[in-house]
Order: sequence, then C-alpha cells, then structure tokens
Amino acid sequence: MQRLLSLLSLCGALATMAQAQPATTSPVPPPITDFATDARRTAYLARADEVLQWYVDSIKPDNPATFNSGQIAAKLARREDAAAVSARVIELMSRPQSQDMFWMFPWTAISFLGRDQLTPEAKAAIRGQWKTYFPMRGDTENHWAMYYTSLYLMTELYPDDPAETWFTGKSSAENRAEARDYLIHWMDLATTIGQGEFNPTHYIGEYAIPMLYLATWAKDPEMKIRGWMKLDWLLADLAENTLDGVLRGPNARTDDTSVIQRWLALSSYFSWQCFGNTPPPPGYGGFGVWFAIAAANYEVPEVVQRIAVDRQEDFLQRDLKRSRRRWRYSDELMALVYKTNYVRRDYAVGSYQGGMTDPIQAHVWDVTWAVPDPRGVHNTMFSAHPYASARAMQMYFTELPDHMLELLSSQGKPSYDVPDKILGCSPYEQVYQDLDTVIALYDIPADDRYPRVNGFFSKDLVNVTTDPSGWIFAQGGNTYLAYRPLAPFHWEHLLGYKQLPSTGGYKWERVDRGEKGDKLLVSPHAKNGTIVQAASATEFRDFSAFQAAIRALPLEFTLSPTPAVKMRTLRGREISFAYGQAPKVNGKKVDYAKWKLFEGPHLNAERGSRKLTITHGRLERVLDFNTLTITDRVRGN
Amino acid sequence: MTPPVSALRRLRHGALASLLGLAAVTAPAAHDLYLCAAFNNGSRVMGSNDGSANGVFVRTDDGFRHLGLNFPLIISVTFDPRAPNVFFAACLSGVLRTLDGGKSWRLVTGWEETESKSVAVDAHAPDTVYAGLPDGLVVSRDRGQTWRRAEHGLPERGKYTQVVRADRTKQGRVLIGCETGIYLTEDSAESWRRVWLTTDTVNDLQQSPHDPKLWMAVTQSAGALISRDGGVTWKKLDGVPAKKALYNVAFDSRDPKRLAIASWSHGLLLSEDGGVTWTPRHAGLPGEGTPRVWRTAIDPDNGDLFAAVFGQGLYVSAVSGRSWRPVPGMEGSSVQTFTFVPRSGP
Repeated sequence: MQRLLSLLSLCGALATMAQAQPATTSPVPPPITDFATDARRTAYLARADEVLQWYVDSIKPDNPATFNSGQIAAKLARREDAAAVSARVIELMSRPQSQDMFWMFPWTAISFLGRDQLTPEAKAAIRGQWKTYFPMRGDTENHWAMYYTSLYLMTELYPDDPAETWFTGKSSAENRAEARDYLIHWMDLATTIGQGEFNPTHYIGEYAIPMLYLATWAKDPEMKIRGWMKLDWLLADLAENTLDGVLRGPNARTDDTSVIQRWLALSSYFSWQCFGNTPPPPGYGGFGVWFAIAAANYEVPEVVQRIAVDRQEDFLQRDLKRSRRRWRYSDELMALVYKTNYVRRDYAVGSYQGGMTDPIQAHVWDVTWAVPDPRGVHNTMFSAHPYASARAMQMYFTELPDHMLELLSSQGKPSYDVPDKILGCSPYEQVYQDLDTVIALYDIPADDRYPRVNGFFSKDLVNVTTDPSGWIFAQGGNTYLAYRPLAPFHWEHLLGYKQLPSTGGYKWERVDRGEKGDKLLVSPHAKNGTIVQAASATEFRDFSAFQAAIRALPLEFTLSPTPAVKMRTLRGREISFAYGQAPKVNGKKVDYAKWKLFEGPHLNAERGSRKLTITHGRLERVLDFNTLTITDRVRGN
Repeated sequence: MTPPVSALRRLRHGALASLLGLAAVTAPAAHDLYLCAAFNNGSRVMGSNDGSANGVFVRTDDGFRHLGLNFPLIISVTFDPRAPNVFFAACLSGVLRTLDGGKSWRLVTGWEETESKSVAVDAHAPDTVYAGLPDGLVVSRDRGQTWRRAEHGLPERGKYTQVVRADRTKQGRVLIGCETGIYLTEDSAESWRRVWLTTDTVNDLQQSPHDPKLWMAVTQSAGALISRDGGVTWKKLDGVPAKKALYNVAFDSRDPKRLAIASWSHGLLLSEDGGVTWTPRHAGLPGEGTPRVWRTAIDPDNGDLFAAVFGQGLYVSAVSGRSWRPVPGMEGSSVQTFTFVPRSGP
C-alpha cells in the first residue's frame, strides 16, 4: 500500500522549533511590480536566505534533536561551522538509518553541499551508509523521482566505486545507468502523455526538489539540463494552477486539511519561494529547506513568474494528465486525465472528468475564491462521493485486500473510509466544466458502501441562502456562488481531524467546531448531482441580482434512470450532460481525443511532443526535451 | 565464511526450541525455517522511522535471528537447490539475491521490475529463475543476473502475478496465480496458457509434498481450488468458504490428509481429511471476533501448526490449533511467508 511521508508530522516536529518565521507571520506579500531581473533575483534569494536563517536559528545547543539534517544542510549552504556540522554528521550516521528515499535526497544534498566543507571522516560516514542502509525504492512516481535522482547524483559523486560499496550491490556505473534510464523514462511520460500525481499540494516538493538537485549538481550536461527544464515545467504548471499563489483543484493528491484550507500546503512554499505571491506555510512546508539550500543555483523564468502573479485577464487552460499506475483490475495501465482550469481575478474553477484516477487523495473539482489573506481561510466549494473500496485500492496497490482500508488511517489518511469524507475520487462521479460552471453527476450503485454525496460549505462563506428554487446561494470573497443539489439533502457539521501523539503510525480524533466550523451538505441519494455556477460580484448590481440571474437560467434535470442535466450557463452556453455520455456544448459533443497536452493562453504542447511553450504577453520560453534546449524570446521583436 | 544454514545445523535442544515450534526436543530438526516478516504492524509509512528490524529471519535454537538486510517489505524467499546460501527475495524494490547466506545482497532487477511478490527457481535448471510482478512476469536464465519479460500467452492486461511456483517434478513447468486466473507453462515461460479463470487474484498456489500431481490454490473471491492432474484442470473445493479472501494454503508433509488455510475473514481453517471438510481452529488466537490470520504453515518436522496473525505476531500449536502459544521474539510481527529448507539441501 502506499507508504508515504505525511508532511503533517514533519510540520509538527518543525513547530517545536518555535522560532518566528518572518514571511509566514508577516502580512501577505504585496503584488509583484518589479520584474527586472535583478529585483526578482534579489527577492528570490532573500526568501531562500530567510529559510536558511530560520533553520540555523532554530538550533539549540543544548538540544541535539534540533540539529538535524535540515539544520546541517542550512549550515552547509551558508558555509558555517563545518567542524560542528561534521561532528553532528558523524553522530547521526552512527545510528541506524531509516526513511527510505526521504533519507536519500537530504543526505545527497548534504553530501554535495559538504564536498569542500565536511571532514573526510564525516564524508566517509555518509558514504558508508549508502552501503549499509538499504532504502526501499517505494511504489509510486514521487518515490522513484527522489530515489533515482539521489542514486544518480551520489554515483556521480563516487563514480567508480565497486558493487560491494553500494546497498544495491551494483557498481556506481550500474546504479547510475539504471537511475538515468528511469529518470529519462519518467520525463518522457510526463512530456508526452502528461504528469502523473499532477498538481499535488504536497508532492510537488518530491518532484521539484530532485529536479533542482539534478540542475544543480549533475555532472552530465544532459541530466543537468533535463533537471532544469523539468523544474521549469513543474513550476509553469504550478503557476497556471494557482490563484494568488494558492494551488487549488483539481489535484491528483492532496489531503484532508489542504483540500479545504487551500493555502496550507507545501505548494504554497513553492509559490512564495519562486513567485513571491503568498506567505509560506509553517515550517516552510517541512520540505522548503531542501529547496532553499540549492535555490541559488536556479532562476525562476520571468515568463513563469508572470503567469503566476498576473490574474488581470481571465484564462482557460486545458491540460492532459495521467493517473497513477493501475496494476490490476483495469484495462489501462494509466488513465488519461482531462483537466480544465478557468482562472479569473476573483476566483478559479478547476476540474477533470471524474472517475477513478488516483486511489486515495484525489480531488476532482472545486471553485476557489480569492481572499486578501489565505491563512486559515477555507476558500473553496465542491462536492464528492465518499467512495471507499478495497478492490479499487488493489488496482493501484499490490496488497491483499482486507487490511488496507483500516491501515490508511494509521498511514496518514484518516478519512479514506468514512461516510463524511470530502477527499477522493469515485468511479461513480462524472464531471463537466464549462468556464465557471461545473456539473457533477453521480450514479452510485445502491449497495455502495456510502451511497451519498457530500457538498463542502466553508465556514468562510457568507449569506448562505437556501432558495425555494432549489439553488443554494452564497458569497465567498468577491465571488458569488450558486450550488444546486439535484437530490434532497440535509446539513451536518463537518468534523475535522486532530492528529494525536503516537509512536506507531498516525492516530487521529475527530473535532466538531460546531456552528463556527464548516458544514457538509449531505445528500443521501445514489442518483444525484451537483451544479455550481460562479461569478464575480462586480458582474452584478448586488447579490439579489445574481440570484435572479441564476433563477432565470433554463434548467432541466432527471436522476432516473441515469442523472442528466440540460441547462444554460450564466455565460449563455447551452450544456447537456448525461451520465455515461459525452457532454455537449451548444449542441456539439466534447471530444476528449482532441485534448492536447497543454492548450491555453499560457501553456501549449501537443500530445507526444516533448515540447512545451510557455507564454505570457510577449514573453515566451520553449522547453524542448527532444533537443534538450531552452529557447527564450520576446515575441514581436 | 560460514553460511547461516550450516550454522543452524548445530542446534542445541531445550525448552526454547520447543517454544519456537522446533522439532521434538529429542530430535534435531530436518528443516531450517525462514520467515519474511515485518514488525511495524503493517502500518509502515514511507519516510517513517520506527527502528524495527524487518525482512528475513531464520529460526535458531536461540530464537529467530534477523538475516542482515533490514527491509520492511520482503515478501518471500526462494532458495537455489544447489546451494542453501543462495537465495532470492521478492521485495518492494524488485528481486534481491544473496550468494552468501544473506551477508551481502544485490538488487538484481532494474527500474522496470517493481514490487515482486514471488520468485521460483526451477529445481531441474536452477539457473532459471522466475519472478512474478504486478505487471506480469520476468525470467532469468543466469541465476538472476539478467532478466527478460516472458509473457507470451498472458493477457495484455490481467497479468498481475501474486504467486509463482515451479513444478518440482519437471523442468520448465511453472504455474502462476494472477488476477485473472491460473496460468501454466511447460516450456520454461516461453508460452503460457490459462488453466483456470478467476475474476480476482489467485493468492497462493501449492504443490503437495506427497503427490506432485496434486495442487491447491486459494483465491480472493473464488474460494479454494484443487487440481489432481498437475494443475491442468481445477475444481472448486466446496467445503471452503468463498465469499472472503483466502490468503495461503499449507500442506502437511507428514500427513497427506492435513491441510491449513489462512484468511483475514475466516481465520484459520484446518482439514484433516484431505480437504473434504474444514474446521475453524483459531480459538485462542488474538483479535476480536475471527482472528486475522495472515499466513499459516505446517512444520514438516513435527506437524506443528503456525498461524501468523496480522500485526500481532506468530503463534504455534502442537495440537492442531486447539490451543496456541506465542512464538517468542515474533510478538507484534506480520509474517508474510514461511519457507522450510531441508538441511539436506533445498
């Protein structure tokens, strides 16, 4: 089963450092106005320096636990106290190692940072662990990215060592060739049929950090440029999908916290670090330091930063992504994910077509509204079918069936098998998005574990009104929202999760915040649907005018024998969407076969092309993995 | 260097040996027992650090000794019949091989082979090794040094392979349990044919130690199956519940009528009439309701019955499951497989 690092525990550990984090607690950064290269660079480096300073300041001489690998890396990046750092390295390396690829990449970074600082004994102590400690390779792409990047770089650092000096029992050359082959294979997949584990709120670190390390330390020029280009690619994808630095849905992987408090995620560290347009999360997301220690070796492309920070023009992007590998019970090894992203200044709407894509932590669609300060705000709206199935888990995990559901809670995913969950995808959900209208249809077997639909209604919504027309109206920030449940419903408090101290696996308790908390629209009907329409408050005279406009929209729907909706959107488009059939817009069928790898004003790539064009205004960067070239130009010059 | 198997031949006899389910204290055991086990309650989180030692364990008269490599997800071990210090381990990272009894290892597969569950060595051509994978099967003709796909006749999709067993009586004859049924090759994996169709995974296959034509299989949703013609034809065993998954089946090499099945939902089932009738024999094992029996085995030296309860350790019974006692040193473990290796050679 999926075994992964939940950053919650890491953040918890970091919280004990209790040092003030300037950017986390300061006001939201002002809008970026100076795009001059020097200004952008200075600000970027200052942000990385803040992380390093915080880590260094958090070392308490009388508490060895505070001088951990992150502090060691920060010290080395600042070229401080090499003797003390070396002594601490030797001490840490004298213990049994654990944490698998999450051990590998930090110690790879420390090895490179310490090449000319650590004592020979400290370097030997680290090197020795690459023989005696056997980290698992993991079971998913983020694991493999960390594992093989680390193995690649370490075998470049020690290029001629024999097989018996590596945990794999393979020589440096053998390890390096295997790692290189995998990394190129993965880049080929991502640049032809789409990124797996796409738009993750936390796992972006597990991809971006290894790519930064390749760009920084790979000796082979091909791998070095590949790392740089893939990091550009990942950050361009992040830029497109953020609203004021906050990554919203859909996400191949997120978690119970980040899916509603959208800012509270490692992705916000990357927005802060690379774009400067949102505060970083506590502890810099846990992994931020591992980017910060090498951040100086990378430059965020101006065109990417401009895409991230410019929300003056509405834009529609369509992307092709990819599911996690399905080992069994499926006709496809990897399902294609057709993703729609509509972004405006006040809100953004994102979705993919629904169905089973990723097994645990997927988030299929939402409307997320802009807020002046995202910290603590649950600025999103969506619905989901709480699907849980051991057999579906077996599609993706090579495990026997019975223990998986209950073990997920102790592995950091407490909500997988609870009826009120709001995280995860379902084979019985189909979604169509047209600009800022989302239609989600549910045709759930009556004997399903949880034949119901859960709608998320944030504590931060105002003016929530159940209208006799069947619509529920609400306002979030400067966004008007209309939510139409297609079957009867009732309201419940949405219980949160509080992590409890535990020495073995994760433990949780549910927390009821009462009327101050979020609410769940529970529609306990197997044939069901949700329609959400968003609009800017500035488009209407007032909230009543918005409501009137929604009420006036022609809408027909049926739930039996299968759910189907026919409606006109606020944008005047005629949508007909029936469960199990291709959606129609103004009478024309949506043809997913024509979906490109990226298509929109900012990112464009043909399927299979290995070539991404990133555009903002007149600026353009082309990442061509066929020729391994980066080409910048100012169009019109 | 001294292989651990040889070292184990110097068993001391005593009370601990009895507790461990060793052969009667007056007679040395004829088999070594290797376990693949994890002590992290199956809840290991990638990136966690619980300090437990996991992987391969070998039974000694002083308890179970961990063999070198600390790896939480080693699923099974398979020995080279020519040399007891050469064995293969199917694990999350692929296939590991040791040539020195576990002192050193090589991850003999590459990035394209992941999460192997089962490895089989052809007893008649021991350089030929088969490894089942989530996306099919690979074969090595050079003792695991290199591998190639060998899937002709397997479906393009539907070849998730949980278990691989080489027929001990004939070179090149191998049965595999997949997500879509049982497949047979008689030409060393050059071609495969399906001999039984299932809709869910076949979790275990075993060849009788008494009659090489007799095979048993247990499945996720089709109950237990029996073949009396070497795995060519199969029929369902009516006496075994089929609604919930069965995890493994074990023969008693001393008694052809005695078999055991482990199941998370059905506990431990024992048959003492060759599989005609089955009786729950898990009273006294830990757990609320039916114990979650993860794996079972029958000691070939003395007939002791083993039950591995998920996350709660290993238990042994000298009275056919009518009472159980915990095996010292394995408290809290989840045992993935039992491998008995004859001291006269695998």
